[in-house]
Amino acid sequence: MKPEDQRLTSEQVGSIVKMLGLTTDREFNCSECLQHVSEFAEYQLANKPVGEVIAKVEQHLALCPECREEYEALIKILKAGQ
Amino acid sequence: MGRLDQFQSRSKFTTWAQAIALNVAFTELRRKRWQDLSLDALMADGERMTEPAMIADDLLGTDEDRTRLVATLRHAIENDLTPKQRAAILGELREMPFDQIVELLGTSRSVAYKMLHDARRALKRRLHEAGITGADIQNAFNL
Repeated sequence: MKPEDQRLTSEQVGSIVKMLGLTTDREFNCSECLQHVSEFAEYQLANKPVGEVIAKVEQHLALCPECREEYEALIKILKAGQ
Repeated sequence: MGRLDQFQSRSKFTTWAQAIALNVAFTELRRKRWQDLSLDALMADGERMTEPAMIADDLLGTDEDRTRLVATLRHAIENDLTPKQRAAILGELREMPFDQIVELLGTSRSVAYKMLHDARRALKRRLHEAGITGADIQNAFNL
């Protein structure tokens, strides 16, 4: 591995500090997010305000690119079916 | 079908089923993409994060806030995290699938997520103790 490959890029350092900015003492993990994401998606598509519990889905999606990828795919499917 | 008992009627059944199907499909795709990476390689990357070369020199430029932020962050990664926490953070930064991080660390999803969560909280606490505010971070990295 070349020395430069061992360095974190500015984007990665930025990602760390962005993650830290979003970190809270109590947050959903991926399993908890999956339990609630379908409800969150329906609220979002209906433009309905979400409660405190479902708001944790939004916070997790901001931190977790995998869950966000799945959520975005779900939204596309739901929109296509409307 | 094995997850049917997890449906709790918070949404339409079809929405829930599609969310589960997407999760299963994406999990399998990610597993195949990352299946050749070993724990040793990830841990070695975690060790390399503590070396001075871990952050490109151009980040340590003349901007005082950025320099202090990066130095504090690097010190915290080196001193406040366990080797597995460092490896997990690096895996996350490299967009490694969470299931792959779980597998490589040899633990459960809930334990691995707590490990990452604790690591983020420790780094955040260290920045806070150093007097680095959210505004400092936003200014330094144009977030």
